[in-house]
Amino acid sequence: MDQFVNAALAILLGVGGMLVYFYGTNFVLDTTLADRFAADGKLIHSNARSRERIRPWLFVGPAMLLLTFYLLYPAADTFRRSFYDARSENFVGLDNYEWAINSSGFQQSVQNNVLWLLVVPFASTGLGLLIAVLADRVRWEAAAKALIFMPMAISFVGAAIIWRFMYAYRAPGETQIGVMNAILVWFGGQPQTWITEPPLNNFMLMLILVWIQTGFAMVLLSAALKGVPEETIEAARIDGANEIQIFFRIMIPQIAGTLAVVMTTIVIVTLKVFDIVLVMTDGQYDTEVLGNYMYRWIFRNLDYGKASVIALSIMVATLPFMFWNVYRFRREEKLR
Amino acid sequence: MSTSQQPQTLAAPAPRAEVPRSSQLQFRITRFLGWFLVRATLIFICVLWTVPTFGLLISSLRDKDALAVSGWWESLQSTITQDQGRSGTAADQIEQEGRYIISGNLLPEGDRREISSFGLTATGFDDFAVGETATTNEGFEITVLEDGTYRLISMEPIPESFSRGQRITFQAETPPRLTLENYDEVINTEGLGDAFLNTATVTIPATIIPIAIAAFAAYAFSWMRFPGRLLLLSIVVGLIVVPLQLSLIPVLRVYNTLELRGTYPGIWLAHTGFGLPLAVFLLYNYISSLPRDLIESAQIDGASHFDIFIRLVVPLSVPALASFTIFQFLWVWNDLLVALVFLGTRPENQVLTSQLNDLVGSRGDNWEIMTASAFVSIAVPLLVFFALQRYFVRGMMAGSVKGG
Amino acid sequence: MSKKLVTLLTLLLLIAVAVPNLAVAQDEEDLLFPIGEGPFTWSDLEPFQEMDLSGEEVVFFGPWQTDDLESVTNVVEYFNFATGANVIYIGSDSFEQQIVIDCESGDPPNLAAFPQPGLAANLAASGCLTPLGEEERQFVLDNYAAGQSWVDLATYANPNGEEQFYGLFYNVNLKSIVWYVPDNFADAGYEIPATWDELVALSEQIVADGGTPWCIGVGSGPATGWPATDWVEDIMLRTVEPEVYTQWTTNELPFTDERVQNAIEMFGMIARNDDFVAGGAVGAQTTDFRDSPAGLFTLPPECYMHRQASFIAAFFPEDVEVGVDTDFFYFPPIDPMMGNPVLGGGTVVTIAEDSEATREFYRFLQTSLAHELWMAQAGFLTPHTGANLDAYSSDVLRGQGEILVNADTFGFDGSDLMPGAIGAGAFWTGMVDYLGGASVEEVTEFVQSEWDAIK
Repeated sequence: MDQFVNAALAILLGVGGMLVYFYGTNFVLDTTLADRFAADGKLIHSNARSRERIRPWLFVGPAMLLLTFYLLYPAADTFRRSFYDARSENFVGLDNYEWAINSSGFQQSVQNNVLWLLVVPFASTGLGLLIAVLADRVRWEAAAKALIFMPMAISFVGAAIIWRFMYAYRAPGETQIGVMNAILVWFGGQPQTWITEPPLNNFMLMLILVWIQTGFAMVLLSAALKGVPEETIEAARIDGANEIQIFFRIMIPQIAGTLAVVMTTIVIVTLKVFDIVLVMTDGQYDTEVLGNYMYRWIFRNLDYGKASVIALSIMVATLPFMFWNVYRFRREEKLR
Repeated sequence: MSTSQQPQTLAAPAPRAEVPRSSQLQFRITRFLGWFLVRATLIFICVLWTVPTFGLLISSLRDKDALAVSGWWESLQSTITQDQGRSGTAADQIEQEGRYIISGNLLPEGDRREISSFGLTATGFDDFAVGETATTNEGFEITVLEDGTYRLISMEPIPESFSRGQRITFQAETPPRLTLENYDEVINTEGLGDAFLNTATVTIPATIIPIAIAAFAAYAFSWMRFPGRLLLLSIVVGLIVVPLQLSLIPVLRVYNTLELRGTYPGIWLAHTGFGLPLAVFLLYNYISSLPRDLIESAQIDGASHFDIFIRLVVPLSVPALASFTIFQFLWVWNDLLVALVFLGTRPENQVLTSQLNDLVGSRGDNWEIMTASAFVSIAVPLLVFFALQRYFVRGMMAGSVKGG
Repeated sequence: MSKKLVTLLTLLLLIAVAVPNLAVAQDEEDLLFPIGEGPFTWSDLEPFQEMDLSGEEVVFFGPWQTDDLESVTNVVEYFNFATGANVIYIGSDSFEQQIVIDCESGDPPNLAAFPQPGLAANLAASGCLTPLGEEERQFVLDNYAAGQSWVDLATYANPNGEEQFYGLFYNVNLKSIVWYVPDNFADAGYEIPATWDELVALSEQIVADGGTPWCIGVGSGPATGWPATDWVEDIMLRTVEPEVYTQWTTNELPFTDERVQNAIEMFGMIARNDDFVAGGAVGAQTTDFRDSPAGLFTLPPECYMHRQASFIAAFFPEDVEVGVDTDFFYFPPIDPMMGNPVLGGGTVVTIAEDSEATREFYRFLQTSLAHELWMAQAGFLTPHTGANLDAYSSDVLRGQGEILVNADTFGFDGSDLMPGAIGAGAFWTGMVDYLGGASVEEVTEFVQSEWDAIK
């Protein structure tokens, strides 16, 4: 029972501490910079302006502090290390960059990452949207969505086992224990070695990520679709628009923001993908991707210089998507 | 658990004016086709998406031996397997009326297999039907019965050199069986309760803290005016791309000097830090799209930003908060790397994922354990999903915005 | 939302508490083997019993999991029982990643057991490991068979580039063995081959009889390919002088050398011959090394021979009794000039964070007793000449242990000696590509170019 009490206390402290911060600082701000009133209740001096000048920093402060420590500082450190040798002791200039450009593993990773980018975000977002729209029209929506969502809830270890069962290969003539090969053989085909045969294997690995990420896209897009005001849709119906027109002319523009967010998120997840590749092939059979390649250089080869260059190239690859989002922020700001 | 408040139909608007019969029929056919297509497509996708997991579920209920022999979809068929047993040795012989007999059972106690044929060599498992007699190189006679009992008879005393016994190969039919034994093994693992508690202690604050911090920040970025706002927002969102693996070592160095490693606050903050960019990104997208009039009219009424946030924005943002809660919860619940690194590998600090991972171990051949453990850890996230799913309801957002 | 969430989460906590916990006690009755009985050198425990290290905590971090974890914990308990110290063994599936993080962040465990000396060398160079003294080095020279090999394998450059001795090999495996099923050999009338030519002739005989001689599986998740590198190393040891073998692991002998290519091709003669390998070359490529030995035991046999290290016995089907249902023979020599070399691997125990109790525990691991206690369980071999061979839990293990103790040349797993980028990367990948049909020139040039890249 002690452990239970400890755990409960820890949780209360953690969550409570954070609430105390937000309520406390705002309370302190409101009392120290309170408006001054005359005895008759008349406002003598308003401090509202100074209060509202400080308050934003109370709101964003914790986020900025944490981000600086956990992500910004490591990112800056990565940039510095990319100019140093394996142990980050000696300055080597652009050697690591030169190495990356000439490394066949790096080139292959970039190629594969491009391939992943072309497939995964579109497939996941498209399927997620399709499911969100379809599920909205049936009574068993919750059940349908739960089934699609399930892959997200499975730990990665579990997902890896699932797909090993899917892709399992037995020599022709033996009983196939993998679903994909069993179906293939049933239709009279030859069993395939799904994860060792390039370029097919790349798509088989992508399928796993699509399988997982579609649930993510579906949850967010479904929530956004529900936010499209019923009246707008009704009005369009009365004007004689058919369902397809309603979908493309009313719904899509209304959820464009969420679509952009979903796409961006999945693009980044795709660029960073590493555990699927690590577990299924570890980048062998021409399936190397940047995420796994970086992992290899940190933990197997203990070379932070080269790992940093790979990490930076992942970050650079996401820049266009980031600019696009910032552009979107600004535009929407103006529209509001 | 139906969440749609108004039943949805695909129907185009009901015809308001009088419509000719033929077009009404055509309209009905179209409507039915649409109705059918929606359901057929959805069912098809759902099945496709579920087959892999369903396979895992069935596999987790099967015998270990069956897993490697046949596909999970064949788990309700009897399987015919070949196996081998070994007779007793010279030391086990009993003299009976001048004959020397070794007897016993090839199948272990409780085995449900039925033997159909047997033989004495690796390829000869169906040389003899049960009840027939085979003769070994040494001249012993062997008979095997359906239930696995065998009798080895020799006319001479069996020499000491017969020390390894005679190998008997056989073919047997195993009736199909689904069992909860695998789950039994996973659930009764030593320390699983502690691991569960650790996971809860990590997951709950590591879900709530980042959401609260991100919501405050997202609100400030959306509706408050301060210098460098868009730049800061861009940086925050840009940080989504920083690969976790690179953050670990620099962060951990600081942790070690502050003695934060292996503590709960340490891992809460780590999960918060790593989850924040995406949280701010998602919540900003939502909170910034709330109607401007709403916020401004509250401001005119004299409410401070803190009041507006707590009283107005948070209730309006429930669907967005709920979706992010689900994701953050899942990431933390299923996370292995951050827990291993920041909480350490000590047994008393183990979370569920690392416990299950260790159970599976470096051996990786305990598929039956892996399958069951995957389902043990999936149960809670699914519960959370169902609990929060009710907040994604049509009209919730639009309706409340109107009311406000 | 929050109310329901809180209820749900409280519920979760309650479920968690309802699951009972088992406490571990430290009593003499809990020790696996009663003190004073059996083939153990119990006198080794006496000096430790005189010590009082109560309250001293020592963290011993290693790669051993599941069954091995249980075995090593059983050994550790004798030390804890004798001294009152609290040595905690922690095993992790992601040892390699974890130890790097621990070291780099400045919070290493007291002792670390490395499955690959290459990683230990890297961390020694980074200053994370504590060099041991002359006394510890001399101990290995005096008490380990082929002691110099073991000393060399545990001697690494410190951060200043000086060579120093860093650790003790504890838990060793033997790779130069071929597993087979004696009954299957007897049924078909096959003899155990004593030379490479006999081995190839036997393989051809099996094919002629309608069978498949070999089970090969190089799959190993992220480490896919290593079983193939073991084959090549074993062949290298049998075709080149020990010095040349060492040169190969340091790239003084380039990968593109014809002797290396020759070894790979000899492996290819077997592994790329669809008649020789269960499931063909594709089968070798796709089968997991853990599933691979199962083919020996199927009926009819999918294969008759399986070349794999001693530890593979842990992956045999459950009902297989080693020594009765299966046995091993020594992977035969190729060039008689090279004698009967032995290929193996092992785990080296090093000190990272020094303390008095840590040193004492290290001394405990040097004792014959610490080796015997694990020998008497399973999955453990040792070149420690003081350890009583009777302690081995089976004749098969004893047989393997004897090979180790009597070895004159001990070749350590070459890929473990190469830099990680090669030995745990390009070499693996190259061998997988080779099995997939790449030419030996392509493969060796690829590995060599990767090696050039990290020089």
